[in-house]
Parts: sequence; C-alpha cells; structure tokens
Amino acid sequence: MSLVQMVDVKKHYMLGDTRVDALRGISLEVQKGEFLAIAGPSGSGKSTILNMIGCIDNPTEGRVLIDGTEVEHLTDTELTRYRRSKIGFIFQSFNLIPVLNVFENIEFPLLLRRTLSKKERERIVMRFVEEVGLSDRLRNKPNELSGGQRQRVAIARALVTSPLIILADEPTANLDSATGHRIVELMKTINETERTTLIFSTHDLHIMEHARRVVHLHDGTVESDDHRGPG
Amino acid sequence: MIGFKIALRSLLRRKSRVVLIAALVVFGTLLLVVGTTLTRSAGIASRASIIQNFTGDFIVYAARSNEIPSPFSFNTPLPVVPDLDKVKAWLSAQPEVEAAVPFAQNYSLISVPAKAGTVDLPFIYYAVDPASYSRTFQNVRMVEGDFMASGPGVLISRNQQKHYEERYGVHLSVGQPVTLLGLGDGGGVNALRTTVRGVFEPRYYANVFNYINFMDAASYSQVYNFTGVAPGSLPRKLEQGLQAATQSEDAIFALAGSDTGSIDTSTLKSEAVSGYTMVAVRLKDHGTMEVVRARLASQGLPVKTARWDEASSFFARISSGIQAFIYFATALIVLVVAFIFMNTLIISITERTAEIGTMRALGGERSFIRNLFLGETLLLNVAAAVAGMIASLALVLVFQRTGLPLPETVSMYLVGGGPLPMILSAGPFVVALVVVVAVSILATLLPVRVATRITPLAAMSDR
Repeated sequence: MSLVQMVDVKKHYMLGDTRVDALRGISLEVQKGEFLAIAGPSGSGKSTILNMIGCIDNPTEGRVLIDGTEVEHLTDTELTRYRRSKIGFIFQSFNLIPVLNVFENIEFPLLLRRTLSKKERERIVMRFVEEVGLSDRLRNKPNELSGGQRQRVAIARALVTSPLIILADEPTANLDSATGHRIVELMKTINETERTTLIFSTHDLHIMEHARRVVHLHDGTVESDDHRGPG
Repeated sequence: MIGFKIALRSLLRRKSRVVLIAALVVFGTLLLVVGTTLTRSAGIASRASIIQNFTGDFIVYAARSNEIPSPFSFNTPLPVVPDLDKVKAWLSAQPEVEAAVPFAQNYSLISVPAKAGTVDLPFIYYAVDPASYSRTFQNVRMVEGDFMASGPGVLISRNQQKHYEERYGVHLSVGQPVTLLGLGDGGGVNALRTTVRGVFEPRYYANVFNYINFMDAASYSQVYNFTGVAPGSLPRKLEQGLQAATQSEDAIFALAGSDTGSIDTSTLKSEAVSGYTMVAVRLKDHGTMEVVRARLASQGLPVKTARWDEASSFFARISSGIQAFIYFATALIVLVVAFIFMNTLIISITERTAEIGTMRALGGERSFIRNLFLGETLLLNVAAAVAGMIASLALVLVFQRTGLPLPETVSMYLVGGGPLPMILSAGPFVVALVVVVAVSILATLLPVRVATRITPLAAMSDR
C-alpha cells in the first residue's frame, strides 16, 4: 500500500471574483522511504500538494489517503493529532518559535504529545541536535543563528517525533546556494538513515538533482514523474 | 509548562506593548480599588455622619403622621409623639438601645430691641433636652457659651448670627436676653423671655444646619403652650376611662355615658407636656435596628418608626447617587481599558499569525493556542493588578490618616462635609482582582477566537 495516495485531486479557490485552479486533477502515489522532489514554477501547485499531504488543506474534488486514512473526513482535532503523530514540517521561512531556544524549539513537538518523560525528551532531542550539527548552539535563540542553522533546527524539529512523512516547502529558498545544497544533503542522509519519507518542493534545478524522484508540475497538472533510482 | 514559558517570554519580548497594557491595568486596578474603597467609605461615613449626628439609627414618630419626619426637613408641622414617656421607657428598657433622644423642629421669632425699635428675627430651631442631645450627638461645635448647661435658652449658629447682623443690623451675643414669640394652636401669640446661651458651628451638613438653631425643651413647651393636667389631679375613674378611650372607640362612648365623678377645677394642677415630634434612637449595634423596630411595632404604642436613611430626607439618596456615579464612572473606565486591551491583543495575534500557524501545523490543538493567550493575558494582567493593588494600598493608607480631600459641595452631600475618611478593607482588593481576572478573560474571548481560527496554512503561506 502506498504511503500517500492522491486520486484525481482538484483544488480551486476564489481570488476576488476570479476562480484559480491550483490543481487540475492530480494523481500521485508516494511509497514509504521515498526522497521525492516536487518541482515546478511558481503557481504550479507545489505548495498546494504539500498542504494536502500535510493535512492542512482539503481538495475540492478527488481523494487524499495518507497511510490508508482518507484525511478529508477527519475533524480539526483529529487532523491536528494526525499531523502531530505522522507528519513533520520544514518551512521555507524556517518558522521557529522566536522565544524558544534551539533545544526548546526541537523539543516543542514532543511536548505537545505529552507522553514522554523529561529525560526521554532530552535524549531524543540531543540525538537529533547532534545529527544536524548544532550541539554548540543549544541555548541560542533563532535570531542568533544563521539561515542554514535555523533550517537545521527546523529539520531536527521535524524529525524528533519520528514521523511517517517529512514535508519541506522550498526548504532552500531562503538560503544561499552552498547552504541549500548542504541542507538537502542533510535531508537525504536523514532519509537514508531514518528511513523517513521526505517530500520537498523546489523550483531550483540544482537542488532537485539530489532527489531520487522528481515530479514536475505545470499549471496544476503533473507534467512528468521521473524516477532516478538511488541518487 | 511550555505554554507558560512561551507566554512569559512573549511578554518579555514585546516590552513597549506590555508596559502600555500593564500601565492601563495598573491604572484600572487603582481606580477600582480606590473607587470601591471611596464609595464604601463614603457609604459608611455618610451613614455614620447621619446616624451619629442627626437621626440616630431610627426615628420614632406619631403613628398618625402622614409623612416621615426628618431632622433635615422643616416643611410640615408634625404631630407630637403620643405617650412619649411610655415610648421612652420602653426604649430605655431595651438592651440594644444606647440612647433615645426626643426632639422637635419648629419656627419662631426672636424679638430684640434695635436702633429703630424692636426687630423680630426669624428663628428655625430644634427643641431638645440639652443634656441628652449633647451627650448623644456631636454635630455641634460651640464657638461661644455652652450647650445650655448654664440654663434654659437658645443657641444660635454662627452663620445665623452673621446673617442677623448683615440683614437686620442686630448682633446677638451670648448672655443677651431675648423674647421668643410663638404662635399657639388657637392663633394667639405666646411670648417667653429667655437668654442666648451660646453660638455654635455645625460640624456636618453645614449647608442645612447653618440655618438651624437650638432651644431647650422646657422653653419650647412654654412658647407653644404644650400644657396638660398633671397626673392625680383628675378623679381616678375619669383617668382610667380616658386611658381606656385611647385604646378603643367603644371606650370613648362608654366614657360619655358613665359616672366618672365630678371635677373640682380648683384642685387641678397643670404641667408642661412634651411637644416633641420625634425620638432619635441610637443603638449599640446598628445591625440590631430591624429587630428593635419590629419589637417596638409589636408593642401597640401609637408610634411608627423610620430608618435613618428614610429620615435623612434626600441626603442619603444624594449620597447613594454620588456613590452610584463613582461606580458607574469606574465601570466605564474599566470597560475602556478592556477595549484597548482587546484591540492590542488582536494586533498582537495578527502579528503572530505565522507563529500560531506553525504551532497548529506541528500539532498544537486549538485549546493549546487558547490557553497560551489566556495564560499570557492573565500573567500580565494579574501581575499588573497586584502592582495596582500595592499602589492602591499605599494611596488608601495615606488618605486613611488624612482623609481624602473632596470639593466642598461633593463632600457636603456625600458625607456632610470635610475630608472623606478612607476605610481600608480587603473587600475592594478582592473585588478588583476578581474584576481584573473576569474582564481579562472576557476581553480575551474575541482575540482568542481570532487566534484559534488561524489555520496551519498561515504558517505555510508565510513568505
């Protein structure tokens, strides 16, 4: 069974009096452990697909199944809990909580779960802090970090709950080229070591080179779906 | 715990806004505590001032009176209190009663010689038993002379003395003999030679009592011919029949047809009877007022009672009105503070849309967001309220010693004049804290609604 299954998904919304068709019948399957890039120009529907897989937006038509669950029928609270346990997010603007330091930002999703002891949380957080190479920045606030360091914190935060899928919406867009490459390399390493499914959107050709599968979108439709094998 | 941490640090991060909100809440709390203390103190002071200086805890007056008498009002001649001795005896026997002070109000003329012949001066007064009145009430400050301890006579207010000088060119001085002229029931004029025993200033409600003077009760009886037959002068049967006639109509007719014995007018003795129209009753504990009133009502005496506030004419109502206005103004300002706070919080939430969206995306439920903002609000507002209460405490302590100076007109109607003695009590502080918490929660409802409606999409669309 596919981890993500999108069947003839359409999404439109109104921008004033104008109807915008963000997705025009997308069908897509993602298997567990994939490292997938969704590529395409601005407005092609990349973010809309990620939002639907991330259970934060619903299709106008069609079905979205995550790990066999049809998510559009879940209530707001059920969706929130679903996201909390199955999905990790990496945002283009990092979206760290400004008043929390590196350690606390990474710990935050674990605290929302309220199932682990302080000691267990500390162990998990420290493991991922080391994995993203920020052991010496634990007590720093986001505004004391570089862009690359902030995105590493966001990656660690997405990983701590061991989600089924990590969604990264243009994770390198706000980074310089070299840092962007390092971030994608880090994501790839995590995909290999943690066996976490990683889906990211990008319009940067160099960045999508790292992906083993690239789905190209154009005007809300799948233009191509390239499986490249091990990258 | 993480919610508390975020709430606290978010507050510390937005210092200027926090200082503005805190200042508003401190101000609101100060207003609440001082306003509530002020109204409460005014209520107590007004009550104390009226009870201790004019009406006592309640007034006893003739049952046949159509209106409630008031020491503050001089409009209608009132009937005298019947069976005054019995009423006084009953009151004196009650353990709750501290004092029962009879008095009357009336008009008279003071006739004095002047350059252009005799001048008749208008004279409004209380007729009192000087000893019991001065022992019970403290509304008179003697400027000259004494409170008729040196003998029967009249006391004149300082204001009245000046008025006589300015209007009539007559200076009344202590020790000066004067003639009191009173209009009797039959239309004749009674004259009484007496003496000015003192000049005084009223301590409270000078706006009324500057125009009121005093006369001793014996002089009052003579001026108004309050005389009757002395007990024992009438045949025994007739006295018994007259006594019974006060109880029922049948007894009156029975008296008309019965042989009560002949009256020898040469042996009749007259005596002055009371012309008192009310008895002010002071209690040891104001809380027993209703019990004593109810007990008196059940005695079958031909009298009624009126509470101190009923007997204080419009003064108690004006005082209550001023207190209500203070409450209203305070509530209005608290409402404005709540409105400003609500708007500031909405702005803050709008600025933090991405942060809230991120928390929602990461799995924060709506309740987490609600508690976060509620916690932030309560943390700030309760801390500010505590600061406001400390400031209020300092302020109340200062004015507890000196009294709160008020504009004379306000003070006169609120507490009878002078600075308002502030009374420190826990009540206003508890009220302020409850109001701050309640208003904070209410003012947070709409902003929290805005915050919990922010979807995780807001985090994704934050470019």
